[in-house]
Amino acid sequence: MKNSQLYKGSLNTIIMKLLGENGRMYGYEITQKVKDITQGELNITEGALYPALHKLEAEGLLDVEMERVDNRLRKYYKLTESGQKETVNRLAELEEFIRNMQIIVNPKLA
Amino acid sequence: MKLSVTQIDLVYKFTLDHFVKYYDLQTELVDHLGNGIESQWIENPTISFDEALQNEFKKFGVFGFMDVVEQRQSALTKRYNKLVWKHFKAFFAFPKIIMTISLILGLFFILKNILFDNVLISVFVLALLIYSFYNMIKNKKRADKKTQLGGKRWLFKEIIYNYGNSFVMVSLPLQFLIHFPQISIQNNFILFALSTAVVAYYLTTYIMFTIIPAKAEEYLLETYPEYKFSK
Repeated sequence: MKNSQLYKGSLNTIIMKLLGENGRMYGYEITQKVKDITQGELNITEGALYPALHKLEAEGLLDVEMERVDNRLRKYYKLTESGQKETVNRLAELEEFIRNMQIIVNPKLA
Repeated sequence: MKLSVTQIDLVYKFTLDHFVKYYDLQTELVDHLGNGIESQWIENPTISFDEALQNEFKKFGVFGFMDVVEQRQSALTKRYNKLVWKHFKAFFAFPKIIMTISLILGLFFILKNILFDNVLISVFVLALLIYSFYNMIKNKKRADKKTQLGGKRWLFKEIIYNYGNSFVMVSLPLQFLIHFPQISIQNNFILFALSTAVVAYYLTTYIMFTIIPAKAEEYLLETYPEYKFSK
């Protein structure tokens, strides 16, 4: 991931936000979606994505579904009810963080 | 162009060769690598399967799948611990709490009225060890039989049958026996706390060695929606 230290803390929120918007998604789809939205600026690495997904699943924020697609099994992730609530909280937290950062980095604009 | 069934099998083998032993994780990685290879073919149809596979693998970084495997292990261990905790809490809720309290009080009176020496501790520890090992062997036979039938290894299943890697649990009372061969406790409060701790310990062992393995299939289905496809 680009500038990994800065983005790392927000990876879970990014995943949850995308799942909130798109319903269910599979791992590869998430990496592509992020790349598309940010026009290639942000690249979620595979080595970071799956651990994050598995952690969110273990925390009960994500649920999984399996489907057979093109001769192979595909694992879809979607938000659970508690995951949906948590997404709202985490997005609010992230927005607050962005606001504060803006104040620090560029006091005139804020 | 889509991956053929033979190529999918090759990708499964590739993950196995790169130390991903578990079918659940292999399946997710195979789909991911497959998608990556197929999108490379869209951009460059002449690229070979092997080359495309290597390109995708490189994206996982120098440690390959290691991180993914380790993190998956810790996520599922957490799930297992939660499961143990859920069962444990049930013993402190109605109606099971009646039995739990009776056990604690029973133990308290035994400890209070009978000399608490190393013979008594030995009986407790030995009973626990025999019980644990007997169930370990019994569960292992059951798990092996199921693995042979399905031929696939599931990470959560191994965690269940390795009891969350908590062999420390079994050796702890043994340590206790070695280091505190003789204890004389007069204080009722300490004696009660000790009885509670011992009962909690036995209950946890019972949950891990009997309750959860008995319901293993149910928990595996809950964890892996694909489990039912692959038996």
